[in-house]
Amino acid sequence: MEKLLKEKDEKYIKDLFSSKLESEVELVLFLQSEGGDKVTKFNSQYLPYTEEILKELVSLSDKLTLTVYKDDKEKEEEYGVEQISALFVEGKNTNKNVIYYGIPSGHEFSSLLEDIIDASRGTTELSDKTKAELKRITSPTEILVFVTPSCPYCPRAVRTAHQMAMENNNIKGVMIEANEFPEWSQKYSVYAVPKVVINDNVQFEGALPEDAYLENVLKGAGKIILE
Amino acid sequence: MEEFTNIFVGEETVKADSKIIYDIAIIGAGPGGLTAGIYAGRSRLKTLIFERLSPGGQIAVSDQVDNYPGFPEGISGKELTDRMEKQAVRFGAEIVPDEVRKIKKEGNLFELETASSGIVKSKAVIIATGADPVKLPVPEEEKFRGRGISYCATCDAAFFKDKTVAVVGGGDTAIADAIYLTKFAKEVIVVHRRDQLRAVKALQEEAFENPKIKFQWNSVSEHVIGENKVEGLEVKNVKTGEKVLLKVDGIFVAIGTVPNSNIVKGLVELNEKGFIKTNQNRETSVKGLFAVGDVRDTPLRQVVTAAGDGAIAEFSAENYIKNLEYIER
Ligand SMILES: Cc1cc2nc3c(=O)[nH]c(=O)nc-3n(C[C@H](O)[C@H](O)[C@H](O)COP(=O)(O)OP(=O)(O)OC[C@H]3O[C@@H](n4cnc5c(N)ncnc54)[C@H](O)[C@@H]3O)c2cc1C
Repeated sequence: MEKLLKEKDEKYIKDLFSSKLESEVELVLFLQSEGGDKVTKFNSQYLPYTEEILKELVSLSDKLTLTVYKDDKEKEEEYGVEQISALFVEGKNTNKNVIYYGIPSGHEFSSLLEDIIDASRGTTELSDKTKAELKRITSPTEILVFVTPSCPYCPRAVRTAHQMAMENNNIKGVMIEANEFPEWSQKYSVYAVPKVVINDNVQFEGALPEDAYLENVLKGAGKIILE
Repeated sequence: MEEFTNIFVGEETVKADSKIIYDIAIIGAGPGGLTAGIYAGRSRLKTLIFERLSPGGQIAVSDQVDNYPGFPEGISGKELTDRMEKQAVRFGAEIVPDEVRKIKKEGNLFELETASSGIVKSKAVIIATGADPVKLPVPEEEKFRGRGISYCATCDAAFFKDKTVAVVGGGDTAIADAIYLTKFAKEVIVVHRRDQLRAVKALQEEAFENPKIKFQWNSVSEHVIGENKVEGLEVKNVKTGEKVLLKVDGIFVAIGTVPNSNIVKGLVELNEKGFIKTNQNRETSVKGLFAVGDVRDTPLRQVVTAAGDGAIAEFSAENYIKNLEYIER
């Protein structure tokens, strides 16, 4: 396969990682052979590209590793994998809860870069108020963010979900690339992205600022909004 | 393939520091704001650019820009603004992922109230907040927004593979959207209230040659029909009064823009449509407060004009700051 990352982008990422990364980050990628129970007929063509992008990415810093589990039922169970491909960003402040279903490409590639930096440093840029409010969530809460790679407004919605997951490991932040998972998207009537679904009961479309996003997450988690 | 191997790396963002006084705060990282950022950075001014969504602005959703000089084969809007962003950051402008909610002037300083960085202070401010699409004027807009009504063809076209969609509008954006949508949809119906398009001739020719594009002339949208998602668009012929139900699964809307001038309402002079009035230095009715690009009262709203505005406004802001410092001394 031809290389996917351009040389100038590689150089930029290398410099970025060497100045920003602190502790090690593991990217855990789940794949299945064609016909696997979690692959859709729409996305088998994407899988080699997903693996290739990640291989190229981890080669840009010795603080990054890529672990690939292929057709590994046991590991899929352990990580709670729902569809293939699934990518988990494992670092200081994550615990199998910062997830990408489908290829982290197009505009979402920048989300992955930022996630890696946050996971390596154990910090996020959410406001202090958001961080404090998130502490109130004590039961499992899932934020699904449906995107397409060509949507420039989507990375912000993905990043907010992932940062929230990093601040509170009861939260799972899940990106779903809608092209690869049409049935999953249809289940939530996704016709426009970004679309965010919290615990199956609260949903919104479009990119919301952090405070309004938080309000929806708290609502979805069954928390009363305090002022 | 190309669609998902097209990788955007983006630039690093920073947090605003509420303890220091910035020279220039730019609000909005579209072509106007980014160009102002390039000039301010090169002048070694302490510069922040606030962006509530993602750098690039409206043009980031356009897959092909054919009228920005220097790119004879055309360039995608995102690629173009990615370059502008890199250029601004290279010269020291800092991009802050935050929304500015309100602007106040206290003495000679501006205070920006932000969503998550608290109050940020600066000597001069450049408003580059651009514009948002006008909502489809039907009673069902809110119900079907995100359920078949879309304002971003590049974001949402993929959900309408082999479906029939309507594009409402007749300007550049509408026709470019219609052409883009033919890559996915089986049929695209352009609904336009006149009997000819407003879009530039080059785009018109391309649309007329495309067999997937049909036209519903002299028609305005009345109602969106559907259970849980869009199933049809009822249009009325403005000449005959006749109503027609178009069976479509999606409706892409491009009928103009509204300026994002709310944050300065009551502070600066606006025209009757809400666009910010400026003089030739791009200065508003408030000293030290400048406006550029689509949010400005201007005859042409394009990338190249927004960029031009950005350069002029930065130049004026710099002079304003120098003058201020001179007076203070
Ligand atoms: C589909 C489409 C196709 C187009 N094609 C062309 C073309 O081919 N050629 C051409 O020249 N022009 C084209 N245009 C027009 C062009 O996009 C605009 O003229 C140009 O983007 C205006 O730039 P701007 O910097 O003034 O504002 P915008 O591009 O609108 O950018 C404003 C930015 O400010 C941000 N913002 C707003 N409010 C706040 C706030 N309170 N706090 C923080 N950030 C804020 C927004 O999120 C946005 O990113 C097209 C437009 C569209 C929609």
